[in-house]
Amino acid sequence: MRLIQRIAMIGAGLGLLLWPVASMAMDAQHPTIIYEGTATTLDSASPFANSADLWVTLADLTRATGFELKPQGVCRKEACYPLPKKTRSEFLAKQGSVEWFNLSAFARLLHQASARDAQFDYWYFGPQPVAQNDFLSTLDAPDFTLPDATGKMHSLSDYRGKKVLLITWASW
Amino acid sequence: MRDAGPWIAKANPEYLALIDQEHIVTKTYGLVNVPTGVWINEQGKIVRPPEVAYVDERYRNLTGIDPKPYLNAIRDWVANGDMSIYVMSEDKLRAKLTPASPDRLMADAEFTLAEYMYHQGHGQEAIAHFKESQRLAPDNWNYKRQAYLFSTNPDRDYGTDFAKEVQKLNGKPYYAPVDLPPAPAGANPQPAKQEP
Repeated sequence: MRLIQRIAMIGAGLGLLLWPVASMAMDAQHPTIIYEGTATTLDSASPFANSADLWVTLADLTRATGFELKPQGVCRKEACYPLPKKTRSEFLAKQGSVEWFNLSAFARLLHQASARDAQFDYWYFGPQPVAQNDFLSTLDAPDFTLPDATGKMHSLSDYRGKKVLLITWASW
Repeated sequence: MRDAGPWIAKANPEYLALIDQEHIVTKTYGLVNVPTGVWINEQGKIVRPPEVAYVDERYRNLTGIDPKPYLNAIRDWVANGDMSIYVMSEDKLRAKLTPASPDRLMADAEFTLAEYMYHQGHGQEAIAHFKESQRLAPDNWNYKRQAYLFSTNPDRDYGTDFAKEVQKLNGKPYYAPVDLPPAPAGANPQPAKQEP
């Protein structure tokens, strides 16, 4: 019997550009959002030039994040986040007939870390801490899906029922 | 794929080798160095936390790490499963698995943005974000080493390089020591005794 039942080795190194891009046009004037691994160049640029926050149209909000504004809050699938009534104007502003949503304020509400490059107008929003830290109490190994050298995707959860020795290395 | 692929092809391992260009596992599991190992049991539970995971003699002259204890622990786990003395208790695991701090999450964000910019052809402009990730997570060697590799001149771009950073440790260990219980006397991995 083989002593080591299964080993998954992750090699972290340079590779080809694999960022999925929802919008092919890299418009220098329109922000690009990287949200949960997907990069999206927005269709509309914010009219609030002096704001340090990222304002997006409701359509861009859905395109870039999957969230939609509903009467009960900002929702995606089964999860809805009510917007605080007293500070609703921090999240929503109307200019003319267009309603704008403050994605930076929403990220703060969800405790998402964010980073911005002003020169290229790139905005990155990280995972919610609850998603990041939940495994600390459950001890459930967080799932992930990555390609092998042929490009075939594999998930950690594919190996439920077997011991997994997860080892990370790098080409550097 | 370009850099990790040839190594995988040359090794032609029996185990599954995956490529994590975006450092997803680093960020999800809070890893800071390589090689790092995590043990996951058949129910998908973590039974040993991230720790240095040499399983052979490479770099022993540099690290001083004897791989035999960790390798024997793995073999014991394979033989004895959750009964292995090397499977960590839940209480101890929760003490060792630290929550992602705001600084660490910000470091992850800056590093991810920097990598995105690098792959978009803005490597020079990405340096500021790589530097910020290193400032926020100074113990994360993965973030340093990946950025240095992307640079054509780490001394110029970061004022340092990997060798200099290791020298700054000034005798402190590069890896946190592995917290293994002592092997039983005359130990070779044996199946746990069955309850009558």
